[in-house]
Amino acid sequence: MSTTVSSPGTGRRRRLRLGRLPVTLIAGGLILLASLVLAIVPSAFAPYDPIAMDYMAILSPPSWAHPFGTDSFGRDVLARVIHAYTIDMQIAVFATTGPLIVGVIVGALVGYAGGVAEAIFGRIVDAVISFPFLVLVIAIVAVLGPGLGNMYIAVGVIGWVFYGRLVAGEVNVQKRLDYAAAGRAMGYTPGRIIFRHLLPNAITPAIVYWMTDMALAILLGSSLGYLGLGAQPPAAEWGVQIADGKNFMSTAWWISVFPGVAIVITGLGFSLFGDGLAELLRTKK
Amino acid sequence: MNTLIKSAFAAALLLGASSAALAVERGGTMTYGRYADSLFLDPVLNDANVDIWILSNLYDTLILPSDDGKGLVPGLATEWKVADDGMAVDLTLRDGIMFSDGSPITQDDVIWSLKRAANPDNGIWNFLLVAVDDVVANGDKGITIKLKHPDPAILAALTVFNAAIMPKKQFEASEGATDADKAKAFAEHPVGSGPFVLKSWERGSTMELVKNEHYWAKGEDGQPLPYLDGITFELLPDDATRILKLQSGEIDGAELIPYARVDELKNASGINMEMFPSTRIADVIMNVRPQIEGKDNPLSNEKVRQAMNYAANKEAIIQIVTHGVGTPMSSYMSSATPLHTGEGAVFPYDLDKAKQLMKEAGFENGFSTSILVLAGSQDEIGTATALQQMWAQIGIKLELQQVDNATRTQKYRDGVFDMRAGAWTDDIADPNEITSYYVYSKNIQAVHSGWKSDRADELFEASQKETDPKTRADQYAEIQKIYNATGPIIPLYETPYPVALNEKVHGFLQIPLGNNVFRAAWMDK
Amino acid sequence: MAFLSFIFRRLLQLIPTLAFILVVIFVLVRMLPGDPASAILGDRARDADVTRINAELGLDQPIPVQFGIFLKNIATGDLGNSIHLKVSVASLIADRLPVTLMLTAMAALIALVLAVPLAFVAATRQGRVADNSIRGAFQVGLSMPVFYVGLILLTVFGAQLRWFPVGGFGSSFVDHLYHLFLPALTLALSLAAILMRNLRAAIIGVVDAEYVDFARAKGLRSRLIMTRHVLRNALISTVTLFGLQVGTLLGGAVITETVFAIPGAGRLMIDSIYGRDYPVVQGLALALAVIVSLTFLLTDIVQAWLDPRVAR
Repeated sequence: MSTTVSSPGTGRRRRLRLGRLPVTLIAGGLILLASLVLAIVPSAFAPYDPIAMDYMAILSPPSWAHPFGTDSFGRDVLARVIHAYTIDMQIAVFATTGPLIVGVIVGALVGYAGGVAEAIFGRIVDAVISFPFLVLVIAIVAVLGPGLGNMYIAVGVIGWVFYGRLVAGEVNVQKRLDYAAAGRAMGYTPGRIIFRHLLPNAITPAIVYWMTDMALAILLGSSLGYLGLGAQPPAAEWGVQIADGKNFMSTAWWISVFPGVAIVITGLGFSLFGDGLAELLRTKK
Repeated sequence: MNTLIKSAFAAALLLGASSAALAVERGGTMTYGRYADSLFLDPVLNDANVDIWILSNLYDTLILPSDDGKGLVPGLATEWKVADDGMAVDLTLRDGIMFSDGSPITQDDVIWSLKRAANPDNGIWNFLLVAVDDVVANGDKGITIKLKHPDPAILAALTVFNAAIMPKKQFEASEGATDADKAKAFAEHPVGSGPFVLKSWERGSTMELVKNEHYWAKGEDGQPLPYLDGITFELLPDDATRILKLQSGEIDGAELIPYARVDELKNASGINMEMFPSTRIADVIMNVRPQIEGKDNPLSNEKVRQAMNYAANKEAIIQIVTHGVGTPMSSYMSSATPLHTGEGAVFPYDLDKAKQLMKEAGFENGFSTSILVLAGSQDEIGTATALQQMWAQIGIKLELQQVDNATRTQKYRDGVFDMRAGAWTDDIADPNEITSYYVYSKNIQAVHSGWKSDRADELFEASQKETDPKTRADQYAEIQKIYNATGPIIPLYETPYPVALNEKVHGFLQIPLGNNVFRAAWMDK
Repeated sequence: MAFLSFIFRRLLQLIPTLAFILVVIFVLVRMLPGDPASAILGDRARDADVTRINAELGLDQPIPVQFGIFLKNIATGDLGNSIHLKVSVASLIADRLPVTLMLTAMAALIALVLAVPLAFVAATRQGRVADNSIRGAFQVGLSMPVFYVGLILLTVFGAQLRWFPVGGFGSSFVDHLYHLFLPALTLALSLAAILMRNLRAAIIGVVDAEYVDFARAKGLRSRLIMTRHVLRNALISTVTLFGLQVGTLLGGAVITETVFAIPGAGRLMIDSIYGRDYPVVQGLALALAVIVSLTFLLTDIVQAWLDPRVAR
């Protein structure tokens, strides 16, 4: 940052030193990296075909042959958990990145412009958010038909407003601070002020929320999979797997517990990474 | 305490114990967990099993179905006789029968109720009474039903919920201009003829029924039925919650136990896992029209359908989906349906034969098709997922499409589907209902499959007026032979009704037609 | 006065929002495949019956005409009758909505009680054991599907320990609270996790910001700094987030209500969508929109109070 306008945070004692990235960022990053590898080449790690059924080995408990046991179709749970990374990581990314980008841009512009734009945006946000999220997604998927593609559309139509409102609120506050006024006084274009000065200070909550949102997207995908509206059988997806194991919680716990653990670990990866990122963004300023 | 009193006390205890083992106990309210709430408790205007299956507790019919669902036992009528020419039924009403408000059940009420049920403008069940021409009084307790043509199923039809007897005066005094409006108002404060009467109903939560003090039937102890003071239906849509609630003793019974948990509950202490015989079947229905949305349809080829039937391993599906609870179907109708014929699975698993048939049909390389399943239904998803694997072996690529019920019904009715998972339960102890839907092309195009057999249509039409039981049985044997060999379905399995009861509950029954019968249910104190 | 006119302005803004929702819902439900008659009658329906019932319901009219009738009825306070349950939509809403509101309010309260203090603990002990274990625990809570958490709580605290009833809603107010505790806790877990994460990040951000340095330079005691400056500023984005999550919370109620057998509006909504019960979906959507909008207004007011610059 070579401008003479000083944003809050500039001139702080802490400076980013290479090799001194936040621990959380590294830990989260490692989990996500591992998840990505599993997502891209699941067959390299999965011991079996995830959809092959073995009627002779229905509901087998964990063993050397099947470390995570088998489900009610005799499918290997470990293979299905690994193969599910492909779909669930895809859900995490696809269902949130579009909304993030659209939401941040719209939010920043609206927050800076204020006035009529903000009023109209406010009404849209109110209308979208006034409706229970899951119910609206279910209704839209019911209109479009089940499947992951339609699920992304349904989530995207609604999801961007969350980011938009977070960013708009922050920008709205930031633009009243002295440094923004100084920027205006120096004759910077609104674009430069918004995206170079206001946004870096306003985006942190959106980024932190994004990481949470990715974990939430996996859960939403799972909920929809559970309701039959997300990934379609025989594809392996954690939510579908948990739903498959629902009737067996007392007799064959392994069907639902292992995918549950996978959700927790992946979610943890996103959160740690998000926290680390937030820390990094703060120190970087 | 001296010895004399002591021994007298012991004797009394002994007596008490032995009589308790023999005799029923009265009183108490039984709480029963249901998976879905009722919608509209009018015998004629209801539309769904959630209503049908409890209506018999609120309204009695002239004739009642027997416990095995196949026979007839006296209800509000004590005697009945079909005229020799088959053109009329004479019934005699029971003496001293009363509605739950204490007013007498008269010939007028019966005539009005039956005519309302047979009126083609009312509801969707009037087809069961389509033969009814007129209902008249005959003497001071006789009722004569005049028919347009002989109907071999007319007595069975009189046991069905829609032919239940309601109070004409109280119904007509209800607010509203049309029959439907009056039914709505009446249903808020109903007066019934069954063993129980509706006391309160918090929709989506609980429904309370209390004993009808004026009910006619007598129990084992010579006193009027029912034994229970009341029934509380609790709505518990989640399977696991319903079972937990039973295990914690908060409810006394739970319906529709998932097959996966039947074994576990059979071994649970304090719980009786009942498997009531049923008429329920599960199948896959195929669209057999030559073209679907302009594209050629391989399922229109009889050999392809047979190949798919041979390639479907029903025993494996029974293990995977019903956890061994089900049995293979030996005809399109359940083996508990009267006039059912057949033994063993319709198409026993035979992969080689299936491959051979595919070759003969010119589909050696298979094809792609799809199946509509109900979103979130573990049974249907399980069946379809298993079929997906089984049919892959004869080159068929099956795509699963999970949709909600209304969407599926629409596609099905419009004929724009390849296959769908299906299920059926009889409402009448006669094969004519299922046959009119599954086989007869002029009703709903043979379960909307587009399948048609002129011979089967002809046989069905003849059987509907056939009064000679032997001839009718032959007609049904031939219909089943034709349909089972060339029909549009993959018959999968029959399953009983899995109901779990607290061990203190006795005498509860779900008959094969689905009716939950609480009238002779009782509980240990 | 500025404050009052701010509230008034926000109330006026409700009108276009609600109008927008009405139109969208009205069209959306009619875009769903199938119609009420086939949904009611199911697979066994005959064409004649379906046509007759749809005509009885006025669904054979063009959509603009139906919308006109709907608006006219709403203007007179008539939300129509449920197609399936044959009772008035208004009475259904009156029965079911308060249940869901009670559930979500309890869940929100539990989430706040869990999140706010623990976020402070975590933020002030950044990177230490307390911080990590708090965040780990919340992460597990966040990552577990609602029906799974619900079932575990029911099994442990309901069926085994018998501390709470296994589902249901009870009959008196206190009984309702007792019945709703486990479902509210289930529902609260993910909200608590989201709030905790955000608040923790915000507190850390604010503590690092220069006005705290400035306050310290002024010689204010650190506890005072914490409550007066940090809390207030960190709460701004938390309040926004909280408002944003109300809709999600109501959505989550759908599954919670099913698992815990609670006769609430969420389940009614889903049943009505599946059953194509147009009047109920429309009426309930409107009622929910009013509730959520008012919650929004409330969060805006709180925000304006925390940060007067927002109200202008």
